[in-house]
Amino acid sequence: MNKRPIIIFLLLMAAIIVFVIYKDLISKRPENRSVNPYEYDVVKYKSVDSAMVRYKEAQVISLNTRAPRGLAYANRKLYIASDSLLQVITVDGKEVNRAKLPASPSCITVTDQSIFIGFNDFIAAFDLNGKMTGRWKPLGKKTLITSLAVKDNLLFAADAGSRKVHRYSTDGKYLGVFDGKSAKDSKHGFIIPSPYFDVAFNHDGELWIANTGKRALEQYYDNGTFRTFWSNDEVGIEGFWGCCNPAHFTFLPDGSFVTSEKNNVRIKVYKPSGALDCVVAPSEKFPNEELAPALATTPEGDIYALDFQKKEIRLFQHK
Amino acid sequence: MADDKKLNRRDFIQNSMRTTLGIAVVGLGGLSMLRSKGENWVWQIDPFKCTWCGRCATSCVMTPSAVKCVNAYDLCGYCDLCTGYFKNGVKDLNTGAENLVCPTSAIVRKFIEEPYFQFDIVEKLCIGCGKCVKGCTQFGNGSFILQIRHDRCKNCNECAIARMCPSDAIKRVPANTPYMIKSDFIRK
Ligand code: SF4
Ligand code: SF4
Ligand code: SF4
Repeated sequence: MNKRPIIIFLLLMAAIIVFVIYKDLISKRPENRSVNPYEYDVVKYKSVDSAMVRYKEAQVISLNTRAPRGLAYANRKLYIASDSLLQVITVDGKEVNRAKLPASPSCITVTDQSIFIGFNDFIAAFDLNGKMTGRWKPLGKKTLITSLAVKDNLLFAADAGSRKVHRYSTDGKYLGVFDGKSAKDSKHGFIIPSPYFDVAFNHDGELWIANTGKRALEQYYDNGTFRTFWSNDEVGIEGFWGCCNPAHFTFLPDGSFVTSEKNNVRIKVYKPSGALDCVVAPSEKFPNEELAPALATTPEGDIYALDFQKKEIRLFQHK
Repeated sequence: MADDKKLNRRDFIQNSMRTTLGIAVVGLGGLSMLRSKGENWVWQIDPFKCTWCGRCATSCVMTPSAVKCVNAYDLCGYCDLCTGYFKNGVKDLNTGAENLVCPTSAIVRKFIEEPYFQFDIVEKLCIGCGKCVKGCTQFGNGSFILQIRHDRCKNCNECAIARMCPSDAIKRVPANTPYMIKSDFIRK
């Protein structure tokens, strides 16, 4: 009997077995990986007691846009500044208006009469139909306007580029600037390590500014004089951590702060005193995101979060 | 006629030799060009794909690894609380070794002006473990990145780390643009 074919077959089988074993040995399957001797465990800082999460995600509105930049809620509508567009959508996601913008926007705020949009180095005013009513003088090369807040006829513009807050009248007159120094001899004012720098008024008309490099929320008089602050340098859920948080904030009708953080992305509510009240959306709601969502609240206490990476507006309501 | 044929044959042979020589020269030139082109690729880490698994420290054929931390200064916030430098949760920003992320003290914190600090990597000490990169990316601006340093990389035929990388973060890049620094390019 000719044994050659059998020997060839057996040799072939042996070669296949050796190949499979080798492949398995060098495969990157998790169970094949050795323990990382340099593991730096950060997962523990992302877990949250579910009892603290007192909001549920109630709605998702997908945005038909390439690059959403800013969100505002007013007049029972959502206003989105994105690409070179202003979009107005109803709370059930229907687009009711769309207007072309003169440049790529960076932030937006809306009152019951006007829309104000920041464009990196200048601000423009629009009527509620999206018609531009004024384009204000550019502020200079270093400027990066990241947030706007309006009270009566005053508008405050946070400028992350120069780490200052500019003060305007709502008809575009420049009224001055302040840098967040709490005293004349203070060594520094606002510390803004990345382009996140929010400014907002609470329902009592108090001006609050996020000093992100100090992980603090600071209150100022309208003339730019420092009044008070709260902060909590804490890597756990109670506080803010990292280079620059809270990246965005706004207010609930009762004066509570709603904050959103970057990198370890999460949304929380702090009492007016600065004590943590509850969690709106823990990090697990943003598994692949690192950009802090922009925030807007309604008079009913609902919280809208603009998820820049998913290009969605996500509604969170009290459970 | 026969003479013509003779001449033609000679011409033919000469032409053939010339052509063969020509092809050989062009071929050799092409081959050497191809080879030198092949050498014009180097291994590099895509910082947007790297998940700081620690293998860059342990899988490189070099000891210490040819992978080092690099600070993309354009992105750095020069933060007082650098989360690539200080461990999470430190109570005060005291630079005692127990408060620091880096296992080899390879990061130097240099005061610039109140309250800004510059963070430089001492490559001699860095083993490419990626702990600082993880801390910076997960809580800060993500300016620390891991890069294969070509002054020490052997440009192995098959990078030993690429074989083990769980994120397929290591790839061949042209040798004239050998680094992938975050601020120079954006996530694809
Ligand atoms: S092996 Fe890959 S994922 Fe791990 S540290 Fe190196 S490049 Fe990053
Ligand atoms: S933590 Fe690791 S990667 Fe970072 S500087 Fe130190 S040794 Fe290098
Ligand atoms: S190519 Fe070789 S020397 Fe270079 S990083 Fe990879 S394993 Fe290390």
